[in-house]
Amino acid sequence: MSPVRTSWRVVLVHTITFKQARQWVPVVLGIGALRGFTDGPWAVVAIAAGITVVSLATAVLAWWRFSYADGDTSVVVTRGLLSRSVRTVPLDRVRGVEVEAPLLHRLLGLVRVRVDAAAGAVQGADEELVVDGLPRAEADRLRAHLLARRTAPAADAPDLPAGPVEQELFRFDNRWLLYAPLVGSYLAVPLAAVGALFRLADELPRRWRPDLGRPDLTDTAVVAVAVAAVVLVLLVGSVVGSAVVNWRFRLTRRGGSLVAVRGLLTRRHTELEVDRIRGCAVTEGLGMRWVRAARATALVTGLGDAARRGQLLPLGPREQAWAVTGLLVEDPGPLRPHPPAARRRRLVRACAPGAVLLVAGAVLTATVGWWWLLPAGAVLAGLGVPLGLGRYAALGHVAGARSFSLRSGWLVREQVVLQRRAVVGWQVQQSFFQRRQGVATVVAAVGAGAGGYRALDIGAADAAPFAEAASGPWAATLTG
Amino acid sequence: MHPDPARSPAWTPSRNAIGLWAVEGAVGTLVLALLVTGLEVFLPLPTWLAVLLPVLVVVEGVVSIGVRPRLRYRVHRWEVTAEAVYTRTGWLSRTWTLVPVSRIQTVDVTRGAVQQLFGLASVAVLTASSQGTVRIPHLDADVAARVADDLAHRAELVRDEAT
Repeated sequence: MSPVRTSWRVVLVHTITFKQARQWVPVVLGIGALRGFTDGPWAVVAIAAGITVVSLATAVLAWWRFSYADGDTSVVVTRGLLSRSVRTVPLDRVRGVEVEAPLLHRLLGLVRVRVDAAAGAVQGADEELVVDGLPRAEADRLRAHLLARRTAPAADAPDLPAGPVEQELFRFDNRWLLYAPLVGSYLAVPLAAVGALFRLADELPRRWRPDLGRPDLTDTAVVAVAVAAVVLVLLVGSVVGSAVVNWRFRLTRRGGSLVAVRGLLTRRHTELEVDRIRGCAVTEGLGMRWVRAARATALVTGLGDAARRGQLLPLGPREQAWAVTGLLVEDPGPLRPHPPAARRRRLVRACAPGAVLLVAGAVLTATVGWWWLLPAGAVLAGLGVPLGLGRYAALGHVAGARSFSLRSGWLVREQVVLQRRAVVGWQVQQSFFQRRQGVATVVAAVGAGAGGYRALDIGAADAAPFAEAASGPWAATLTG
Repeated sequence: MHPDPARSPAWTPSRNAIGLWAVEGAVGTLVLALLVTGLEVFLPLPTWLAVLLPVLVVVEGVVSIGVRPRLRYRVHRWEVTAEAVYTRTGWLSRTWTLVPVSRIQTVDVTRGAVQQLFGLASVAVLTASSQGTVRIPHLDADVAARVADDLAHRAELVRDEAT
């Protein structure tokens, strides 16, 4: 197919968002700072108009110099204003196609297509090919063409229900948005927004800043109102933040793929190849555990930005997370607890900082008379006990017939369920102290997700048998 | 004493590795000694610290030149079986690593400057996982080349694309 340009309407989008002109902003601001914005409002208008013209010009140039061509064996993207870059990606290297429609794109009937062509060693921006500004129909054609070579799911892959070609697995219930204030990452959304607002307020010229006066911090009512306002902003902000990302999340199966669609302003359309899924992770933060909420993520090989793209259930009841996981990986059975030595080690680790403070406090009390370190150390050491017990309670491992599972973590508890074929290697680690206590840490190296998952402090005698049961006969090399 | 979590692989690295580790330890100790000398000359240290620091340097030298290389040599083991590459590394803490031949993606041989003086080379076997890398350090250069060739060849025959 001969090279084609994207839709001209993308020029509008890029002009408005300053996509290409953005890199000029620091320069303009620098010049402005040198001269000083003292020429009155007209200077500001002139600068704004100038930036818009530059933005329009660069957007037109970028659009004019960008073209793509999808052939039978590869897709070629040509771009660059002065130095031309031609990037060719063979179709069999295409690992996924994501179609996203930000708000402005939607108004103009356009979408952005991201082609995930992870080359393995290449990380970051080079990992994907972005074709910005296609009409929806053309994007659908391109996506179908790029993914046409996909094979049917392999036999030992998951027991997805056979059935119609397109089948909805579940859709997001908007009531689940109420879990958002208990999730750290969503709580961070309003905090980041407020932070940005304050930075902006700092940048504003003094005369434009509202004069609020100094709040009277001794007045209990003022403090109470302030605290209530902060809590309200956090609650509402996190719910809104989570709604923007997860609105009308829907997970469907289409042939050999899982398709996730989500988003309020930007609609995102992500496709995961079922055959590349090696397992699932179900994570529950401290707050989420109170309300039995969880999130589920697929662990997929060769997927760029896997933490976002692999999401199967961004937020929801624990039962739902496990239901989705059950569709993709066989349940290996209930977890086995780790030996008592593991509990002792967790307790020692958790109480050690407090104990050190306690000793230092005792010494200081005796020598210099600084008594306050002593109670601080005692409290910290005391808090270490529930922390250590909690961390121990999170530990568990089990190997089933076709899958295995590992769990750890207290602040964020994560349980991964992996297929046997996911394992590309084993590592058994034993420190000097672990050796004396008869435990070892076993790491399953996996070409997906975090790259490796640990079974912390399992009995030394269980290490090799667990590895063999969780992967295959080749792991018997560990026992000879 | 508790039993080991995994058996020890069959083969040892080259004996020259002890010399190489000792040289590495000596270089580290030298840097430390220079640092401490600088401190003693330019800073008004309390007497007890001025005595303690050189003692610590001497202890570090004895450990890193005389003791650690031998301990390492006793721990470091490797083995290539029909199905897998298997190593044990470390000195106080120990790490066993096992990777099946079918999951090998790349085999690298590296020869550092000091390694060349001792006629040594290291083999690194890479998989799809960043944590699934096996390093076999300090083999005789010709052994390393042979092992790397053999592994790369066999990996090609049995490669399992579904990593």
